[in-house]
Amino acid sequence: MGLFGIFSSGSDEGDKRAQEVRTGAVAPLRAERQKCWEARDGYFACLDANGIVDALKDEKKAAKACKSEAADFERDCAAQWVTYFKKWRVQDIQKKARLKELEAQGANKMDISTDFTERK
Amino acid sequence: MPPPAAPMRALLNALPKAPVRSCQRLMSTSRRPTSPSVTKAQQAQPLQPFTQRRFKFKTVEEAKSRYRSGPFSWKAGLLFVGTGAGLLWYFEFEKGRMQRKRIADAAKGVGRPKVGGPFELIDQNGKTVTDADLKGRYSLVYFGFSHCPDICPEELDKMARMYDLVQAERPGVMLPVFVTCDPARDTPAVLKEYLSEFHPDFIGLTGTYDQVKAMCKAYRVYFSTPTEVKPGQDYLVDHSIYFYLMDPEGDFVEALGRQHSPDQAAKVILDHMKDWKGPLRIAR
Repeated sequence: MGLFGIFSSGSDEGDKRAQEVRTGAVAPLRAERQKCWEARDGYFACLDANGIVDALKDEKKAAKACKSEAADFERDCAAQWVTYFKKWRVQDIQKKARLKELEAQGANKMDISTDFTERK
Repeated sequence: MPPPAAPMRALLNALPKAPVRSCQRLMSTSRRPTSPSVTKAQQAQPLQPFTQRRFKFKTVEEAKSRYRSGPFSWKAGLLFVGTGAGLLWYFEFEKGRMQRKRIADAAKGVGRPKVGGPFELIDQNGKTVTDADLKGRYSLVYFGFSHCPDICPEELDKMARMYDLVQAERPGVMLPVFVTCDPARDTPAVLKEYLSEFHPDFIGLTGTYDQVKAMCKAYRVYFSTPTEVKPGQDYLVDHSIYFYLMDPEGDFVEALGRQHSPDQAAKVILDHMKDWKGPLRIAR
């Protein structure tokens, strides 16, 4: 036991907490959300690089191309969030494409932003 | 140039007096035979102020320059611009005030869609909170849930900034209220931990499913919890994402959305507060 015991029990606690966050047993706190969003952004960047829009539909392709990013994403985020963000990505890409199309037709843009970046 | 001015003035003063005097004589003779004392009194100081006002310039040059520039001097210009700017400001101010009044009054009175109303929930410390506890102050009400992946935490951070901005100008006049749409998982203890990361002043409300449903219905908030959730299974809740600004009487004022930055939203709230003439119950 001793010092080693404390360390191992501490990391067990961390594992337990991470597990609870993944299954949705507890609500993630600020630091956990931040970690999840970073993993998500990394995963999405990989999907962008590989030209994958829908990670749920092109599951095999996405799994092959972004193996490590996907593992991080699933490790740091609740399973529900992973699915939600994948769906959100498809909608967001469609929305941006539609907006571009409308803009090309001369539609007026309103100041409504629904992305994740913070606005001042 | 004083030397030529003096005789000039004397000449000018003398000039209009003669015709006036003869005119008076004419009038008085036609009416009745004159009594010399009356005419003398009239002659003594007839229309002295008139002549002085008419020729107020000391020199001819001065009079000429005045004549050339007409009534437009820098003083007149300044007065014109000042008055114009003042009126413009006043009209803009009144316009903004009337617009806010229209928005605020739209939810008041008879025949209006009612947003808000009586409720009974418990806060993160387990204390019962009703609509009566919110009265006397403005309240900013937001609906969400602790397992929310992206929008709620962002909006709660925004709400904290908004609250701080309002608090800086009008301390204790507004209550920041968070109502969960997921009472099954968001117990008071969960809310306490969750909200403490955003702002210590936030009031987190939860209750039974029926109480929360009644609250959401009163505020016309849409939310949907997935049906057939097994115990322990994770799920997300779909819900409306507006901040509801309620006045000190518990009436809905305005909905603030994602399009408002914290500064814009704080300005909207502070402007409504300035318009409020009713009583306030200021906290702390």
